Amino acid sequence: MADTSEQKSGRLSDRQKDIIQKFAALGSLFALVAVFSTTSSAFFTVNNGMTIALQVTSIALLGIGATCVIITGGIDLSVGSVLALAGVVAALAVRDWGIPVPFAMLIGILTGSACGWINGILVTKMKLPPFIATLGMMLIARGLALQITGARAVSGLGESFGVLGNGSLFRVVTIGDDGFPIVVFPGIPYPVILMVVIAVAVALMLNRSVLGRHIYAVGSNADAARLSGVNVSRVVSFTYVLSGTLAGLTGCVLMSRLVTAQPNEGVMYELDAIASAVIGGTSLIGGVGTISGTLIGAFVIGILRNGLNMNGVSAFTQQIIIGLVILGTVWIDQLRNRR
Amino acid sequence: MQTSADIQHLDPRSSDRAALLRLDGITKEFPGVMALSGVSFDLLPGEVHAVCGENGAGKSTLMKIISGVYQPTAGTIVYKGKESCFASPLESEAAGIAIIHQELNLVPHLSVAENIYLAREPRRGFLVDRKKLRTDAKRCLDRLGVDISPDVQVRTLSVAQRQMVEIAKALSLDAEVLIMDEPTSSLTEQETRLLFQVIRDLKASGVGIAYISHRLDEMAEIVDRVTVLRDGRYIATDRFAETTVNDIVAKMVGRSLEEKFPERTSVPSEEVLFSVSGLRREGVFSDVSFSLKRGEILGFSGLMGAGRTEVARAVFGADPLDSGTITLHGETLTIRSPRDAIAAGIAYLSEDRKAQGLAIKMPVDANMTLANMEAVSSRFGFIDFNRHDEVADEYVELLDIRTPSIKQPVRLLSGGNQQKIIIGKWLFRKPKVMFFDEPTRGIDVGAKFAIYKIMDELAAAGIGVVLISSELPEIMGMTDRVAVFHGGRITGVLDTRKTDQEEIMRYASGYGPTAH
Repeated sequence: MADTSEQKSGRLSDRQKDIIQKFAALGSLFALVAVFSTTSSAFFTVNNGMTIALQVTSIALLGIGATCVIITGGIDLSVGSVLALAGVVAALAVRDWGIPVPFAMLIGILTGSACGWINGILVTKMKLPPFIATLGMMLIARGLALQITGARAVSGLGESFGVLGNGSLFRVVTIGDDGFPIVVFPGIPYPVILMVVIAVAVALMLNRSVLGRHIYAVGSNADAARLSGVNVSRVVSFTYVLSGTLAGLTGCVLMSRLVTAQPNEGVMYELDAIASAVIGGTSLIGGVGTISGTLIGAFVIGILRNGLNMNGVSAFTQQIIIGLVILGTVWIDQLRNRR
Repeated sequence: MQTSADIQHLDPRSSDRAALLRLDGITKEFPGVMALSGVSFDLLPGEVHAVCGENGAGKSTLMKIISGVYQPTAGTIVYKGKESCFASPLESEAAGIAIIHQELNLVPHLSVAENIYLAREPRRGFLVDRKKLRTDAKRCLDRLGVDISPDVQVRTLSVAQRQMVEIAKALSLDAEVLIMDEPTSSLTEQETRLLFQVIRDLKASGVGIAYISHRLDEMAEIVDRVTVLRDGRYIATDRFAETTVNDIVAKMVGRSLEEKFPERTSVPSEEVLFSVSGLRREGVFSDVSFSLKRGEILGFSGLMGAGRTEVARAVFGADPLDSGTITLHGETLTIRSPRDAIAAGIAYLSEDRKAQGLAIKMPVDANMTLANMEAVSSRFGFIDFNRHDEVADEYVELLDIRTPSIKQPVRLLSGGNQQKIIIGKWLFRKPKVMFFDEPTRGIDVGAKFAIYKIMDELAAAGIGVVLISSELPEIMGMTDRVAVFHGGRITGVLDTRKTDQEEIMRYASGYGPTAH
């Protein structure tokens, strides 16, 4: 009786919905790779793979932070601006104060942490809605970055500033017969290694640690979590600090890649970060989300951009397509949650 | 009309064609719980048909099926001679079925008039015809005879006034079937009179009213027939004039009081385990003092809003406390947050399971260990999953929680099992004092009995148990003493064996010890 009525109304069973959701993002990722491999011979190569991985790092790092914030039921709109502020602070520390590059970058990253910490206070202590708190921070951080640089790019940072963004591990180069170097293996770029390490660490934190459990509990039901003895303010603040710190790190990586600090860098990156989390199945209502999903989401966006570029699709059309992908995946998510 | 009334007189389960609404063999299944099975119900024009049953008997579910909030798993609904199935409350409303919910469904920031005509605003072109909106709303309110301005925002109204607005809204729909779910539970005596007058008027104009209420004493005035449900099953339909309140209660309960509650095995000792004195929270409660002996179950009784839950929440640190002392094992506690209370050994099972008790999207095991993660994790804050799953399995077995696995999201479990998970969460904390706030609300009878048994076992194990309950039989059946609240104060602490429901009600109404 129940079966027939279910079939009649054409609804999918819960199990089918779960499977669809789990493989929707991953499946579309494989589909993209397959399609682009046939349309462009240069797409499916080690070199291009590393290029994509490198391009994806910034979305992925920001997306990891965004995922944690969104699981608690919050949102962080400030990361695009915070990464610019962190990057220029690191660059100015090198150029104007003569601080060695590693310490200067640490200062940059801590600048991001500080922005996140302030976001946390605004949300937990001053009870501002996360959207408003981080919108304010977005404007303030961007303004600060422009102010302290006079809206000019900071250059002349020296070669060592570019190592983090441009260096790679296991790079194999031989000298050819003509005397020019031949790149046998382009190496794994440092930013990619950084992304993998951080993704694994945060995934472990979410799945295996008490803090991670508390993050999900707060997002699932903040009242219940508080009445179970969870320090809700501290947990929520932590996610904003994490997001800010990762934004700071992303800023340093991006500026290092250009060996120039641009105060205009990272505009709208927060939306890419949120999109990657959402494509990966993170629920904006909170309580649901995984790092693996967010990584898939980041790669979907990255591969779309890269593949469409290689096929000569204009930047405008790219935006349209990425917009459609976001709508499609979230619609599937809604389908799954409708009961 | 005349003939149908005659037939109705001959057979209370009248099956004549004149029935306005008729439900047959209605079954409704939720994941893990059978809310209704094979229930029948019919409604004639111009009658009030009461539906009675204990909490969890399926009354509200039945009404939600009539009004299209839920769709039945099986069974037929015939409305005005046509088989119907309402996919949403909007559809049933359009067909002339209005429901006044137990939980009021008004938009607090809109005015009374805007609420009454929400989504049906009279228009003049694109704009709302504010003048007509106001006069129409005023007419509905006048018909009820209540003194509420159509212009004030709903959030400024009392609960009783909001109830009246809901009724006015239903009247404005020109409904032929009106469903009232506990309409008098928050009304004063005078407001209830007024409502009954309105109901009589509606009856005279041919409206059929399905009426849910716990207050059997009031029913004689307006009710024509009464249908009793128990545990989601249809029991009987009788003409009200031909039955007695005792008979209805017997059908509702279906068993004697002794069988509803387990035999108490715990014996309160003389040793005071936990006490509070002079608790005060500005504007909410004041001068609250009580003590709890080892092995005792203390009841908190009182009307809604009397301060029972508020006191428990403040003791637990969930709400601030302006003054007062809390003592456990002779030591004075400083409690600023639930964390402090939990660390001291106090547990609080909240009255609203879904909103405050459970992380509803998370699985059974995660909910079970949430209040005591330290016990299942290493020093560095990483979860020991072997220990974690062991604990979850242990409490699932101990409390007989029916779940396919400990990884099942709790939202898919029945109310009784959800409640047991919250109890398990607190038992794993090994509390010294445990507050149960309406622990059996909306739970089926079998699970209720199990929860009563757990409370008794906890008391027997030397844990101080406080039972907050609006159901007097529960207070009478389970507690050793009962503290009765009225207007934010304790008006009396009574020995359960030496008191009766009437005396408790007297204290709860603020009259105090008149007869004694």
